[in-house]
Amino acid sequence: MDIVVCVKRVPDTSEADVIIAKDERTVEAGDLVFDINEWDKYAVEEAVLLKEKYGGTVTAVTLGPDETEDTLRRCFATGADKAIRLTDSAFEGSDAAAIAKIIHQAVKDLKFDLIFTGTQASDDGYGQVGPVLASLLGTPHASVVTQVDIADGKARVQRELEGGLSEVVEVPLPAVFTIQTGINEPRYVSIMGVRKAAGKEIETAGLADLGLTAEDVGEKGSMTKVERLFLPPVTKEAEIIQGSPDEASTRLAQIIKDKGGFS
Amino acid sequence: MQQGLAEKYELFGCMQCGKCTAGCPVSLRGPLNIRRLIREVMIDRNLEAAARPEFWDCTTCSTCSLRCPRGLEPHELIIGIRGALIEEGRIPATARDALEGVFKHGNPWGRIRSKRSEWAADLGIKDLSKGDKADLLYFVCCAASYDPRVQEVAKALTDSLAKAGVDFGILGNEESCCGSEVRRMGEEGLFEMLVEDNLKLFHERGITKVVTTSPHCYDAFKNKYQDSEIEFQHYTQLVADLISQGQLTFSKELNKVVTYHDPCYLGKQNSIYDEPRYILKSIPGIQFVDFDRCRERSLCCEGGGGRMWVEGTDAGERLSGIRIRDAVEMGVDIVATACPFCLLTLEDAAKTAGLDGKIEIKDIMELVAQAI
Repeated sequence: MDIVVCVKRVPDTSEADVIIAKDERTVEAGDLVFDINEWDKYAVEEAVLLKEKYGGTVTAVTLGPDETEDTLRRCFATGADKAIRLTDSAFEGSDAAAIAKIIHQAVKDLKFDLIFTGTQASDDGYGQVGPVLASLLGTPHASVVTQVDIADGKARVQRELEGGLSEVVEVPLPAVFTIQTGINEPRYVSIMGVRKAAGKEIETAGLADLGLTAEDVGEKGSMTKVERLFLPPVTKEAEIIQGSPDEASTRLAQIIKDKGGFS
Repeated sequence: MQQGLAEKYELFGCMQCGKCTAGCPVSLRGPLNIRRLIREVMIDRNLEAAARPEFWDCTTCSTCSLRCPRGLEPHELIIGIRGALIEEGRIPATARDALEGVFKHGNPWGRIRSKRSEWAADLGIKDLSKGDKADLLYFVCCAASYDPRVQEVAKALTDSLAKAGVDFGILGNEESCCGSEVRRMGEEGLFEMLVEDNLKLFHERGITKVVTTSPHCYDAFKNKYQDSEIEFQHYTQLVADLISQGQLTFSKELNKVVTYHDPCYLGKQNSIYDEPRYILKSIPGIQFVDFDRCRERSLCCEGGGGRMWVEGTDAGERLSGIRIRDAVEMGVDIVATACPFCLLTLEDAAKTAGLDGKIEIKDIMELVAQAI
């Protein structure tokens, strides 16, 4: 079972004050702490679990500048065997489709049974790289995957639907799956583990290595362009619940009940 | 499982007397049996540790090590076993999140660094990270920086130090976790990294004297950082000195019956038993009574050794619950302690027992600040 996992380095914005840059199209990196995208953490773990079960290799792929090597080292420490970093200044401004194009060039000649991406990235949240990549490769895909079982050269995967429903689909291999959080419990990656991975070789490839031209990537090669980033406007719908803890919790429970929160 | 644990922790010296297990507070309520574990490690080199969640029950309170007649340190064996599990990545998810929080944000709650010194925003405290100079660094601790309840302790301490005329400052948002609990959870690599980074920062800022809120920070600095150029103190040591030298005086009476809960990292592990009691007895009006289980025999609150982030497998009554029950039977108004984790676990136990309002859980420093 040879598996390629696509990972992305993203800022942790759970509690940070996000500042929009002067160009109104990007976010100021400033003091933001970066780490592997949450969904990708589960994707890497799932790939390593399958490798531990069926044998084979795990190759981690990322796109970005030198700093993204930290993310790949984390993948090595989790259990990846190889890592590829796709990097070129021309990649700047690429949308999900252009990124899928770049990854496609890097993986199309590799031997693989499965390609995993996270269901989405926590920064731009497009959720499109996986499906577009599958389309370019001509392989089937399944999104929002919460369980993967392999038998007789096929995968049976569970997909998360709305309203707490799941569906099970059978997919012939090779295939692309976008992995949902909660599919597994990602292992802890120790500092010693990351240090041991420090000497491992990371392959890099740029525009020309991938057989692409500047027209294929960046804004020119994209189908969408970010026009303007802005913080959501403050609305006036918020209700501040007053009173003692007993009164407040009764009121809160009533609101949740009225909105259909308890079923 | 890692080879060589028996050699590393000198387990062949064990005569299986069982004093460790007899004294172990968590074996009161759960399956962890440290005497049996020592035997198992000696005869079975392939101990399947990941399947034994009780290894995460240990609070590393060190009662076992204190009582061992052969001078062994059984609690360090637990840390060693956790270390092997850490390298395999097989640890409780909540412990994982705490360690990742320390690595990414410098605190086990994963809170953002830019809010670390928010509690001190309007207090006019010197900030050494902004170039201020002071004789003493107050090392606040992650719990006192972010937990609203423990922030009260930090405010009481800084307020009292200012009134006593002590020249002190904090490291503001530059302060990072001391790593005490990181080491106790077995993440030696991350602990070494924190030691290196913190000592570098202390030296860069010209710090020679440090006082801590938490016995956990104090223990790590004093016993594991071991920097010959920096003097480390727990605040109870400093405040006891300030009182005895007349720099800190009281103007109000506190007419309450007060007992003191010895934090394991302060008492059992660093033999600081007298200073906290001296401070409490110095406060006018306080009628001090000791727990039956006090000093070396103090019952652990179960907040140490990473247990703030790991629920534990044990089904019996929480030790903090037993502690509160004992305090109620003694008829005390206030249980005082000198550790953020003890404060939080004991207060939770009081609330769970429905005793909120009937018995107060206070840090010694809060009582000092009230009586100044």
